[in-house]
Amino acid sequence: MALALSAEQRIEAPPGAVFALFGAGSGAGWVFDAACDRVVAGAAVTLRAPMGGPSGQPVEMLGRISRVRPPGPGAGRIEIQLHMPWRGRLRVHLDVAGTGTRVRLIADLDDVGLQWLMRRRGHALPDEPHGDGHLVGLLTSKSGPGSVFATATESLAALAAQEINADGGIRGRRVRLIVGDDGTDPALGSVEARRLVRSGCRAILASTTSATFARVSDALAGDRVLLVQTLMNEGGLGGDLRVQLGERPYDQLRAAAGPMMREAGGRRWFLAGNDYVWPQAVHTAARRVLAEQGGRIVGEAFAPLGTRDFTPIVEAVSTSGADVVLSSFVGADLVAFERQCHAMGVRDRARSLALALDEPTRERVGDAAGAGMWGVSGYFEQLPTAANTAFLQRYRAASGAFAPPVSSISESVYEALHLYASAARRAGEDEPRTVARHLRCSSAEFPRGTVTVDGPETVSQQLFLAEATAGGFTVSPTLQRATAR
Amino acid sequence: MAPDLAFDALADPVRREILAVLASHEECSAGELSSAIHRVGRTAVSSHLRVLRTAGLIAERRTGRFRYYSLDPTGPAQDVIRLLQELFQGSLDATKIAAEAAAPASDRRAM
Repeated sequence: MALALSAEQRIEAPPGAVFALFGAGSGAGWVFDAACDRVVAGAAVTLRAPMGGPSGQPVEMLGRISRVRPPGPGAGRIEIQLHMPWRGRLRVHLDVAGTGTRVRLIADLDDVGLQWLMRRRGHALPDEPHGDGHLVGLLTSKSGPGSVFATATESLAALAAQEINADGGIRGRRVRLIVGDDGTDPALGSVEARRLVRSGCRAILASTTSATFARVSDALAGDRVLLVQTLMNEGGLGGDLRVQLGERPYDQLRAAAGPMMREAGGRRWFLAGNDYVWPQAVHTAARRVLAEQGGRIVGEAFAPLGTRDFTPIVEAVSTSGADVVLSSFVGADLVAFERQCHAMGVRDRARSLALALDEPTRERVGDAAGAGMWGVSGYFEQLPTAANTAFLQRYRAASGAFAPPVSSISESVYEALHLYASAARRAGEDEPRTVARHLRCSSAEFPRGTVTVDGPETVSQQLFLAEATAGGFTVSPTLQRATAR
Repeated sequence: MAPDLAFDALADPVRREILAVLASHEECSAGELSSAIHRVGRTAVSSHLRVLRTAGLIAERRTGRFRYYSLDPTGPAQDVIRLLQELFQGSLDATKIAAEAAAPASDRRAM
């Protein structure tokens, strides 16, 4: 059981009128001003909780509407399953009260959520006690723009841990995950990584932006801790105690550039992305790939992480006459940029290729704004293999029908934990350098297919090109297996 | 307060239920709490209250032979619980203003 917090208000308006305010964006309070394309069960929803006060950044609470009953003669109900920054239910009850409405909000808050809130409010909490288990840190983004792509990450890490433990753990000891939230902020990421190390983790899986990974890698330079970046990245930091898995921009672009130019019927590209190391590396790779494949760059722009108004960049895209927009924004920034491109008519003239476009991000871009967008990575939910079907069944059984979709970004954590456990078993000891040596030559069958690690930043996997369609992606294999280097 | 004690205190579902009851009331007597919590008896509620008080999660006030309990206004758990409740209440207050401004004047007269 979780704590159930409730608030109540009597409103002199009929339940139907109050219900109609939900999701309408009419300034009816942050809960009723939920951002969702439709108020129906299954719709993705974002609540912007003003936790930092009136002047601070709101915390985006991400979830999915799980039940809707419009108030007819009876009571109205809206139920939301929250995914971020903690998991739980938020219920809105609308009951007839005399000539008006009694509205109640009931929010679940579990231990994990309470602990997250306490840390977020700056309360010093003790480090989690050393257990008997084999501790592995998971650094993820439960808040900030990255929380959009991280919605399923923790559940998939837990699923892998459960499978590893059912299989005897690591030399008889259970894998125990300790989770840190970088808030999509490198400085906070290094503070949280330090906490994971103090708690006893000698390996940390980072499913964060490369900006956080690079900062954490520096911060832990003097520690004997193995740091693994699981998701797509530009490489360059691999070493004794650093392993970078995931797709590389050059491979993704080489697989996608040709099909995108054929699809768009033109060769003019506009490069736009967040202003940090990974999007910059994507632009560098794009210059090389487009030179090889006869593309032409007609414009380039960057915006800091956390930007919400992309009007100047969208206008520059429009006037550039681009046929393809290479969009290297991430998470909530990618959602906002693509929705604004759609709203301002860019879709009528140009296709969009986004290397970080994954299922949870597409869902929040929405079906309408998502049309004309493409992604390219090593995994999509739609992969029609038996291994993937069984994997998705296990995930849904553990996380429920309204759980967030799985993506290459979140699935990479599931794989990384399995690869790590296998390396630690083969190593026969916990010494991070020894485990890292075994991790650097690994191969396994995963939901995405065969993944082979052959060096600190050399990963071989099949890449897939995916077109955003209503409710998901249409996926096709690309011609080459990518060997990220 | 000692936060590690607070986590141990929060690990128990009855104690979380006590906190939830206290979160929606200013102050409760031990008797009121016992009647609000059905899954265990009065003696068990008393011992849970002792754990919560030791952890610094709730405050106790004595008047004669009666004891009253409330959330400790200074603890981190209370800080965040209060923050969330204020956020949710503030959000509904804004809903009320928006809904009543949108309701036609004739409706309001009818009320």
